[in-house]
Amino acid sequence: MRAFAYERPTTLQGAVALLAEHGSEARLLAGGTDLIIRLRDGSIAPRIVVDLKRIAELDGQIREHDGGLTIGARAVMTDIAADGRIRRDYRALAEAAAVVGSVQIRNRATLAGNICNASPAADTAPALLVYGARVIAAGPAGTRRIPIDAFFVRSGVTTLARGELVTAIELPRPTSRPGSVHLRRTRRRGHDLASVTLACAVRADGVTQLAYGSLGPRPVLVSDETGLLADPTAPELAKMRRLEALFVGASPSPRSMRASPEYRLAMLHVLGLRAVGTAIERLAQGSVPR
Amino acid sequence: MTDPCVGMSPRRVGGRDRVTGRQAYVADIHLDDVLHAKLVSLDCARARIITVDTSAALAVPGVRLVMTAADLPQPVPRFGPQFQDRPVLAAGETHYHGEPLAAIAAETKDAAEEATRLVRIEYEELPAVFTIAGALDPMAPLVQDPALRPGDRLARSNVLREHHYGWGDVDAASADVVVEGTYAFPMVTQFAIEPHGFIAAPDSDGIAVWSSIQHPNWLQRVIASLLHLPLAKVRIFAPDPGGGFGGKQHAKYEPLVAFMALRAGRPVRLVLTLEETFQAVRRGASEIHVRSGFRSDGGLVFRDIEANYLIGAYADIADRTVAKGSYTSNGPYRVPAVRIVARSILSHTTPSTAFRGFGNPQQIWAVESNMDEAARALGIDPLALRLQNLAHPGEAFIPGDTPADGDWARTVERAAELIGWGNPPAPGRGRGLAVGLKSGPTTGLSNSIVRLLADGSVIVYAGTSDMGQGARTIFAQIAADELGAPLDWVTVVMGDTAVVPYDQQTSASRSSVFMGNSILLACRDIQAKIRAMAARLEPVDEAAVVVERGEVRIGGRVTPIRDVLVRGLGRLGGELIGIGEMRKEAEPEHPLGGTAAFFEFNCTAVEVEVDRETGDVVVARHVTVSDVGKAMNPIQVRGQDEGAAIMGLGHTLMEHIIHDEAGRIRNLGAIDYRIPTSLDLPLRMESDFVENADGPGPYGAKGMSEGALLCVAPAVAAAVHDATGVRIRDLPLSPERVWRALHDAAESPDAGAPEAIDAR
Amino acid sequence: MTMRQRIELTVNGRIRSVEVAPHHTLLDVLRDDLGLTGTKECCLVGECGACTVLVDDLAVDSCLMLGVEADGASVTTVEGLATGDKLHPLQEAFLETGAAQCGFCIPGQLLAAAALLANDPHPTRAAVEEGLAGNLCRCAGYEQIIEAVVVAARAGASES
Repeated sequence: MRAFAYERPTTLQGAVALLAEHGSEARLLAGGTDLIIRLRDGSIAPRIVVDLKRIAELDGQIREHDGGLTIGARAVMTDIAADGRIRRDYRALAEAAAVVGSVQIRNRATLAGNICNASPAADTAPALLVYGARVIAAGPAGTRRIPIDAFFVRSGVTTLARGELVTAIELPRPTSRPGSVHLRRTRRRGHDLASVTLACAVRADGVTQLAYGSLGPRPVLVSDETGLLADPTAPELAKMRRLEALFVGASPSPRSMRASPEYRLAMLHVLGLRAVGTAIERLAQGSVPR
Repeated sequence: MTDPCVGMSPRRVGGRDRVTGRQAYVADIHLDDVLHAKLVSLDCARARIITVDTSAALAVPGVRLVMTAADLPQPVPRFGPQFQDRPVLAAGETHYHGEPLAAIAAETKDAAEEATRLVRIEYEELPAVFTIAGALDPMAPLVQDPALRPGDRLARSNVLREHHYGWGDVDAASADVVVEGTYAFPMVTQFAIEPHGFIAAPDSDGIAVWSSIQHPNWLQRVIASLLHLPLAKVRIFAPDPGGGFGGKQHAKYEPLVAFMALRAGRPVRLVLTLEETFQAVRRGASEIHVRSGFRSDGGLVFRDIEANYLIGAYADIADRTVAKGSYTSNGPYRVPAVRIVARSILSHTTPSTAFRGFGNPQQIWAVESNMDEAARALGIDPLALRLQNLAHPGEAFIPGDTPADGDWARTVERAAELIGWGNPPAPGRGRGLAVGLKSGPTTGLSNSIVRLLADGSVIVYAGTSDMGQGARTIFAQIAADELGAPLDWVTVVMGDTAVVPYDQQTSASRSSVFMGNSILLACRDIQAKIRAMAARLEPVDEAAVVVERGEVRIGGRVTPIRDVLVRGLGRLGGELIGIGEMRKEAEPEHPLGGTAAFFEFNCTAVEVEVDRETGDVVVARHVTVSDVGKAMNPIQVRGQDEGAAIMGLGHTLMEHIIHDEAGRIRNLGAIDYRIPTSLDLPLRMESDFVENADGPGPYGAKGMSEGALLCVAPAVAAAVHDATGVRIRDLPLSPERVWRALHDAAESPDAGAPEAIDAR
Repeated sequence: MTMRQRIELTVNGRIRSVEVAPHHTLLDVLRDDLGLTGTKECCLVGECGACTVLVDDLAVDSCLMLGVEADGASVTTVEGLATGDKLHPLQEAFLETGAAQCGFCIPGQLLAAAALLANDPHPTRAAVEEGLAGNLCRCAGYEQIIEAVVVAARAGASES
């Protein structure tokens, strides 16, 4: 790969200053599992790579906060998938983190990096959407909270401003613990990039949240407030109709070699129905994973 | 006497180095003063090269050489195992996505990489053909200059060769039921975990070349010829390759690296990226039409096969794979009338080359799928249909060729027994079965030298390439048993043409037989000398001395060879040298140039579960049984067979090279070319082998390690049909493609039916 | 633009100080700067695992880490598994079951297996399959590799 300068700031302020100064000539390095691939294939050629792993204010801890959780910017997928609180209260996120890639990838890939990369196929995005996560970003203008649904713009693009970096991701306290699940479609049972990702959360109050990725330029959140999807006795045909209506905005790219648009759409509906069923079961069981 | 080694599973010779990281593959070899090379190619399938400006590249600090076709002898030298068609560097035109037209040599990898970005090439993209239909279109551009094939009536087409095989009169045959279909096999690539590596270094009055090559002596000939050097001045070092599977059989960039080294006066090292290996080697893709005629009782009456293989821009050994794979395509069956037409069709794609199975998997996919369709049409159990038509041992099932050399029915029955064919599968599962046959080498020559040293330890020189199949180990086992040495007193020297005598090649599962026999004969040579020695020492007539399996027997007395040796060598010491050769001469009248030395035969039976909503196919059970003659090292046999089975599942379920509309490969690299991982295994895998000591190799061994790949695809597709009622004739059976077939079948129930079922 | 930076890292128990170019990966540094060629180069995109090493006891793809990121870290490569000429139980197990065929994927498999057993000394078969899922093998059917890990676990390999 092309050469670049390497900086390893030890303060948040120092990191922000570097990013603000260099703009698009600088790239943040967290786990590196996306960045290094792109450096090698030449799709990006920054003059400076800023390693955030020595910034004192950042860590990889998962802390309880206000009944919810705050996940540090350096938290890696292995830790997220293994965390008992996430497995219990935000199960779809734990499931997503567990399939992001092999153990070697999961030991390095950060949740923050996954969302900042903003691939429409990002495995953790649908789960974060259904849980209403918030992104905490620090920049030259200070710190702000960005609701996750307002974070993604399109492939590779977020609403982070120049000089901003993600310091943590907040998962708000669930009003009541939902039944939730993460599903995806891949070309083999082994680790793979997903051609459809889906998270579903069914709440005790009858609201169903679904979020899907890889069927459009960014992950999409939809919501069923009618109670139909959450109703275990409702007929399957009615649920399929409701899902069809909810998924009407899905627009898979015709150019992808991983899966055709028809297959992706069909699988979205198959996974949607399966996810709703599993989420209902988990809600009923009080959903504690083994 | 020490316990026999052959037939046991002692630890792999070379295993320790592999688990400690000491094993030196080509990329691990360090030479002082080496220059690092990188290839320059265009991002298109075919282009006319207008100008190449190397000045900016040459200006990069550390760059010592930027080579283009203009820097080579003119006209640009060409090479290739079948036709001398491949230029050392593309001259005038590039013919496939990834064909190099320039190469950089620099002090550092960074400098070489930077220089590749600065070579300025003016080019015009030209229309390319990369499908069978495209290549056969009368208006298609010609892939190869007709001037390269003077006098060839096919020279003005993209058909490189057309082969005709068969016997009897298919058109006169009368069948009650005729089943026909067309079956497609995709482009797939070997994806050895070690990318190809090459180093060349000027060597006093010649050249030394290191390569991950499977055929060191063949490479030696190619280099010697291109550089106008005598063979004795070309030294090929062939470290154990990190997987070959055929993709490392023939010269690729060694000639280029050799020219660069001579030009630079320094060693030059080129290690391909994984993406470059996908552009360098692959299997031939195919569309094969099969028409089989049966009596209503299931007896085969005729088989009519027309096969089009899509090979690449240069022939490499691809046409041979078409010929050899097609010649036996009727399968291990007794059929009175067979007609086979097979074509090698050139295209602007990666040159296809040898790949485990050598043209057979494509045919077996077609013929065995067709057999399963026939079983359904006839209302006969697919297992029974195979057994009924299988050639018996000794039967001349291919007129003019080696008769059936195994009890193949036994292999089939063993597979059936293991899968429990007689009992229905678990609910929700489908079951399928297929058989596969491949001929071993048709000609061959292997030499070996064995030295029995003064203390009874042994050195074996064998030119085979051990790329994981464990050749080194079984050779040591043979020598240990024959000469009475413990296994860890045997050293096997391979991979150096200056030291190791000539071996034709490592391919066609030949080495157990050809090199094994050669080593056996070398040991027998030594045994004869021991016999003379023992007779002299006694003294007694030689006729009274028997030397066998490490022992000397005179009358009732048994003495280890070693003891006789030590006494016999006396004060001068020394050693005994044995020379062995196994040779199978060519038979020019034979369509393949020679009869099969042996056949590899395998039966594979699988059970699958199909998720009808998603198209996912899970192989719940995979049974594979091979007819091996003698398993000289059972653990290694099992490792090869199961590895071949999983590799077969790769092209069955997930592997295919994807081109864009301009003929560029889209899924270069490991992210989008999917091969099986440890999470993609059959839920239960069982392998077994049949040992009847009926092979021509040592102790009755045959070759093995390709058989278990041959019939995976048709077995799985048959099982998918059994589970879903849907017949799929194109590989891979990826989830989306299975889903689509199920979908299409639901919409039009006739979709997927055989093209014709004639009931007369 | 290639300003080399000095890093200090512990490799197989030995402190190594070396100047590296920032854009070189840990794999490059191990193989080219430190001469440890046991770790292999294959896909370079974190899919094949041939480059797997342990960094602070975690299995990672060294092709997806910059060398400079390993400053201050403790790295274990295949060369660090044996103690003198005494093989690690995993290495013994791999030899026993015939897990190594061509051998090219084996260093990566060994490190991934070592990390697995350190976290999970008695893994289920499913856990072994998942733990090795980032290590491609083209020779074997994975069976003998998986068996080796199970055998090593029984022999108490995690205590090494």
